[in-house]
Amino acid sequence: MQKTITEPNLRLLIDTLVSEGKRVIGPKAAGTMTLYEPLSQGEELNLGELPRRSAKEAFFPLCETILTYERDKEGVRVTDVDPQAIPETVLVAARPCDVAAAPVLDSVFSWDFKDEFFLERRRKTTIIGLACARADDACFCTAVGLSPGDTKGSDLFLAPLTDGGYRCDAITEKGEALLAAHADLFSDAATAEPLPLAEPTLGKLDLEKIRQWLDTHFEDPLWEEIAARCAGCGACAFLCPACHCFDIVDEGGEEKGARRKSWDACGFGKFTNHASGHNPRDVQPSRYRNRIMHKFKYYVDKFDQRLCTGCGRCVRACPVGIDIATVLEEINSK
Amino acid sequence: MCDHSKNIYLPQLATIAEIVDETADIRTFRLVFQDEAVRESFAFRAGQFAEYSAFGAGEATFCIASAPTRKGYIECCFRAVGRVTEALRSLEIGDTIGVRGPYGNSFPIEEFFGKNLVFVAGGIALPPLRTLIWQCLDWREKFGEITIVYGARTEGDLVYKRELKEWEERDDVRLVKTVDPGGNSPKWDGKVGFVPTILEEAAPVAENTIALVCGPPIMIKFTLPVLEKLGFGDDAIYTTLENRMKCGLGKCGRCNVGNVYVCKDGPVFTAARVKAMPQEF
Repeated sequence: MQKTITEPNLRLLIDTLVSEGKRVIGPKAAGTMTLYEPLSQGEELNLGELPRRSAKEAFFPLCETILTYERDKEGVRVTDVDPQAIPETVLVAARPCDVAAAPVLDSVFSWDFKDEFFLERRRKTTIIGLACARADDACFCTAVGLSPGDTKGSDLFLAPLTDGGYRCDAITEKGEALLAAHADLFSDAATAEPLPLAEPTLGKLDLEKIRQWLDTHFEDPLWEEIAARCAGCGACAFLCPACHCFDIVDEGGEEKGARRKSWDACGFGKFTNHASGHNPRDVQPSRYRNRIMHKFKYYVDKFDQRLCTGCGRCVRACPVGIDIATVLEEINSK
Repeated sequence: MCDHSKNIYLPQLATIAEIVDETADIRTFRLVFQDEAVRESFAFRAGQFAEYSAFGAGEATFCIASAPTRKGYIECCFRAVGRVTEALRSLEIGDTIGVRGPYGNSFPIEEFFGKNLVFVAGGIALPPLRTLIWQCLDWREKFGEITIVYGARTEGDLVYKRELKEWEERDDVRLVKTVDPGGNSPKWDGKVGFVPTILEEAAPVAENTIALVCGPPIMIKFTLPVLEKLGFGDDAIYTTLENRMKCGLGKCGRCNVGNVYVCKDGPVFTAARVKAMPQEF
């Protein structure tokens, strides 16, 4: 189904969803940045720039409680997390590079053991994607097989029009349902033209060739070369829509507290450190290698998907100027 | 999450029924699940591991050290070296700990039926083999000769001393115990020498024999060539990798060696598989 919606009505839709008790997450001004954050009204929607952090927090929060415990004279009591605490959510105006990461992450969180913390949020979230009409130097979604108009992972998809409104395509049944429930805010087919899609400069890479090179170059001078600069700060992993390494820690005392799952990064020096002091990935080159291998080989071997959507956030944020797209280009040219 | 059974991170509660101090810093817990249904239904295979909780400190990963043939309890054996293991060590009989598991793969024991077995272990690495040793002894008639070569730095570092004695006294097991040079007292009645050297001396027959090796990386490094020399093929040698883990479920990204996830694809591997892995463990 295809409809159109004006920008005021898009903001009105957010107001309506909020009044229905849904959690609405979208790009919002946060100090000098834009972040995907809960919106209390449509007016807060900030469509000007790509949010600094990815949208993965909608499904995989930076830190979340997975159980609480209490200890007294009777013994230990462990309390599960209340499923009602996860609200029905609409993620609005999420960029294709952010949205495409959600189905990629479904694989790891649903294979074998099912991580309901992630999957329940996925089930309870409707995603309204938004096409990109602008790209900057760091964007490279087209290089990894996506595009600024990619609908992968979206339930509804908005494409900006020349008159300031949006063409709206329902991609899934969830999207159809949301359209049907708020039909009064949408109108029929567009009269205005869609704005041309953004054009990231980096062309399509041969990802299979890259995987094959990684397959045979676990040992290669390239890793030393790049990691000589890497500070192991983890910014790339925290900003990445597809990075999902996590830690599990107890916070609290002996009497009561919570066990939490929180983001971690394979670039951190102690990530693989054993209690004995032995550390299998004890130097930065092996950690940076793991990052690239995980994204472009291991995950492909296991789930036939890549842990990179070309959003460019790691490129923009790296304090030492490491550019993953350049690394991929270099491997691609070998 | 959605109901009690759906939160894959939720541990079962177990009571510490027994504590044995194996060495100055290594301790064995016998654990009994508090929920009767779990106590009845908890099943695992030799080689699998679990995540053990000291609430307030976190979780630590160890193999299940008791045999699957022994019902009603499980055992774990750990050295107090970090935050969680120190917290576990501070617990007493009657205290509660959390247990998540069993996780990972296991020794393909059915494939060992009718074969001779050689267990080679060093120091605190006996527990991952002890689970299988007792299962094999409980099913003694299914196997040929059973040899156990076990060593530690000093006499004091040997774990399960009471069981070593029991194995020594049995006539259907050959136990060769050893300590590193300088690690013996005048009363020591075992061998003196490093495990690989003593293994070579013991010279178990390789034909129709499976070798099961567990120890510190340095011991494994020198044991594999000895086994090769004795005629063991890489597919007839099993070992376990003990990588750092958090989730145990193939998600947190910590324990991989190349694209092998130790928590899911392991911890039990043949030497052939270990040799094929990138050397990053």
